[in-house]
Amino acid sequence: MTARGPASWLTAPGVALIACVFLAPFALLVAMSFWSQPNGTLLVDPTPTLVNYERIFSDGYYLRGLGRTLWLSLVTVAVSVVLGFPVAFWIARRAGRLRRLTMAVMLLPIVCGALLPTLGLVNLLSPLGIVNGTLKSLGLIDRSIPLLGTQTGILIGLVQAFLPMMVLPLVAVLDRLPPSYEEAAKSLGARPAQVWRRVVLPLAAPGLIAGSVLVFCASLTSFVTPQILGQGKIATFAAMTWQQASLVLDWPFASALAMVMLGLMAALGGAVLVLRRGARS
Amino acid sequence: MRMNWKATWSVAALSLALSGAATAQDFAGQTLVVGTWGGDIERLLREHAARPLEEKTGAKVEFLLGGSGDRMAKMYAEKSNPTMDVTFQNIYEAPQALADGLVMAPDESSPIYSDLWSGMNDGCYAMSLVGLGIAYNKDLVEEPVEWADMWDPAVKGMIAMAPYPSSEGDGLLGVAARLEGSDEHDPDTAFAKVRELGAPALNYTSLDEVFALMDAGEVAMAPMISGYVLAALKEWDNIGFAFPTDPGPVLVRDMVCQVANSPNPELAAMFIELALSPETQQAYAEELLFGPTNSKAVLSAQAAADTINTPEEVESLLQLDWPYVISQRSDWTERWNKDVLGQ
Repeated sequence: MTARGPASWLTAPGVALIACVFLAPFALLVAMSFWSQPNGTLLVDPTPTLVNYERIFSDGYYLRGLGRTLWLSLVTVAVSVVLGFPVAFWIARRAGRLRRLTMAVMLLPIVCGALLPTLGLVNLLSPLGIVNGTLKSLGLIDRSIPLLGTQTGILIGLVQAFLPMMVLPLVAVLDRLPPSYEEAAKSLGARPAQVWRRVVLPLAAPGLIAGSVLVFCASLTSFVTPQILGQGKIATFAAMTWQQASLVLDWPFASALAMVMLGLMAALGGAVLVLRRGARS
Repeated sequence: MRMNWKATWSVAALSLALSGAATAQDFAGQTLVVGTWGGDIERLLREHAARPLEEKTGAKVEFLLGGSGDRMAKMYAEKSNPTMDVTFQNIYEAPQALADGLVMAPDESSPIYSDLWSGMNDGCYAMSLVGLGIAYNKDLVEEPVEWADMWDPAVKGMIAMAPYPSSEGDGLLGVAARLEGSDEHDPDTAFAKVRELGAPALNYTSLDEVFALMDAGEVAMAPMISGYVLAALKEWDNIGFAFPTDPGPVLVRDMVCQVANSPNPELAAMFIELALSPETQQAYAEELLFGPTNSKAVLSAQAAADTINTPEEVESLLQLDWPYVISQRSDWTERWNKDVLGQ
C-alpha cells in the first residue's frame, strides 16, 4: 500500500479531467438517447422513452446506413490486410537501414491527422483533379469519372488513413518471429505457401487481429474522411449522427444513433476478447 | 461602389463625432456577444455596427463566428443561461427560435420596426433579402432560364445542389411542387418532382467548388441564393444567374435576433438598430448584393439592379410557408437522403 499511495495521487488530475470532459457528458449522452423531441419544437422532453431506438431499428434507412458503414469498414480492413502484410513483413525482415525511415513514413498519416491527407485526395480525385485531368488529356474520357461521392472514393481515403494501424501491430509481431522458424519448416520439406499458411500466418495472428480491430473501429467511427470524400452523397452512420445533431438539431435521436454505434463496437470488442481467450485455452 | 464609400465616410464621421462627445460611456467594461457568419458579413457588421457602438458606449463587441445551425445549437444548449446577446439566423430558424422562447419578438413600437418592409419581421427582424434563383453555364443552357429547364433531359445529372437541410433545398421543393400545380404542403409531389432530376452532380459546400465545375461544363445548373453568388459571379464570364418568373425566385431572408434573457439587452437592442440602419443596409447591398430590408436605404443603380430592393420586387417572389417547412425538417431530411440522394 505504501508504494501505491503517491502513485494513486498522481493519477487524480487525469481521472478528474476524464470525469469532467468524458464521463459526465457521456452520462448525459446515454440519458438523452432516452429523451425525445416533440413535434413543432426543438426543445427536448426528458420523459424516458424508447421512441428513438424504435425509429432506428424500424426504419430501413438507418439500418441500411449501418450496413453500409459496416461494409465499408470490413472492406477497409480486408484491403489493409492485403496491402499491409507485405509492407510489415518487409519492414520486419528486409528493410535494414531503411527501417526507421519506412516506419516514420508509415506513421505520417497518423501524425498529420485526417484532414490534410483527405483534402489532398480531394485534389487527386475531384472531377477537375489530377486523375480525371490526366485521363482527359490522354483522350481516354470526355466527362469526368465520379470518384468523389462514391464508395470507392471513401474506401481509398479510409485505407490511406488507417493502413498504419494495420502495419504497426503486424511489425511488432513479426519482429518477434525468428526467421529460423521458417527455415526449420522449409528444412522439414514445407513448400513456401505451406510455410506461410502453417507457420507465419498463425504466429502473426495476434498482430492481424489487433490491426483489424483498430482499423475496423477507426473506419466505423470515421467522420471527416467519409464526409469529405463522400461529399454528403454516401451516408455513413457517423454522418447520419452528425446530420441529426448539427443540422436537424434532434439531439435525443442523434444520441441514440451514437449509442447504437457504441454498442456495436462494445460487442465487437467483447467478441474479440472471447475469441482470444478461446484461442489461449 | 461610390455610394459605399460615401456610407463608410459618413459612418466614420459619425463615429468621430460620437467619440468626441464623451457622454453615454455607461457601458464601459461590458462585452456584447454577437453570433454571425464570418468573412464579409463580419467585416461589414464590425465597420458599420460594432465600431460605432463601441465608440458610443465604451462597451466591447465580440463576434462569435460560424454557421447559423451552430448558433441555434448554442441557444438551445444555453437556454437557461445564454451567453450570446445577438444572433443572425436564417429565415426558417427565426420563427422556431421565437416559438421555443429563445429570442425576443421584434418590438413593433421601435422606430426601426416601421422602417423595415412590412410583413418581413417573422420571428426576428429581417436583415437582408435575397432570392433563390438559378446559376447556369451559358454555353449549356439557353436563356431566358426558367425552373422547368432544370428538368430538360439534356442536363440530367448535371445539376448541383446545396446539402440538405438548407433554404436552397426547401426552396427547390417549393418550386418543384408548384411546377406540378401544388405547393410545399404536398411533399409527396415535391419530392417526386425533385427526384426526377436524378442524384445531384455535386453537393456543393463552397461557391468556388460549384463555379469551377460549372465553368468546366461538368455542372450545367444549380439553384443558388442571390447575393454572394451575384458578387462572386463577376469573375466568371460564362456563368449566368437568372431570377426565373414561373414561379418567381424563392424569397430567403437573413434575420437578426435579440436573444431572450441575454446578459446585455440594452446593448443588444442598440446593435440591432445599427445593423438595420440605412448605412449598414446600403453597405450590405453595395458590397454583397444583399437586398436591404430598410425602406430608407438608398442604392446605386448597379446595386439596385442586382438586389431585391422594392416592395414590387418583394411581391413578385415566391414565399414559402416557412413555419410549416421547419416543422417538417426531420422528416424531409430523411426523405431527401432517401429520395434525392438515393441513400
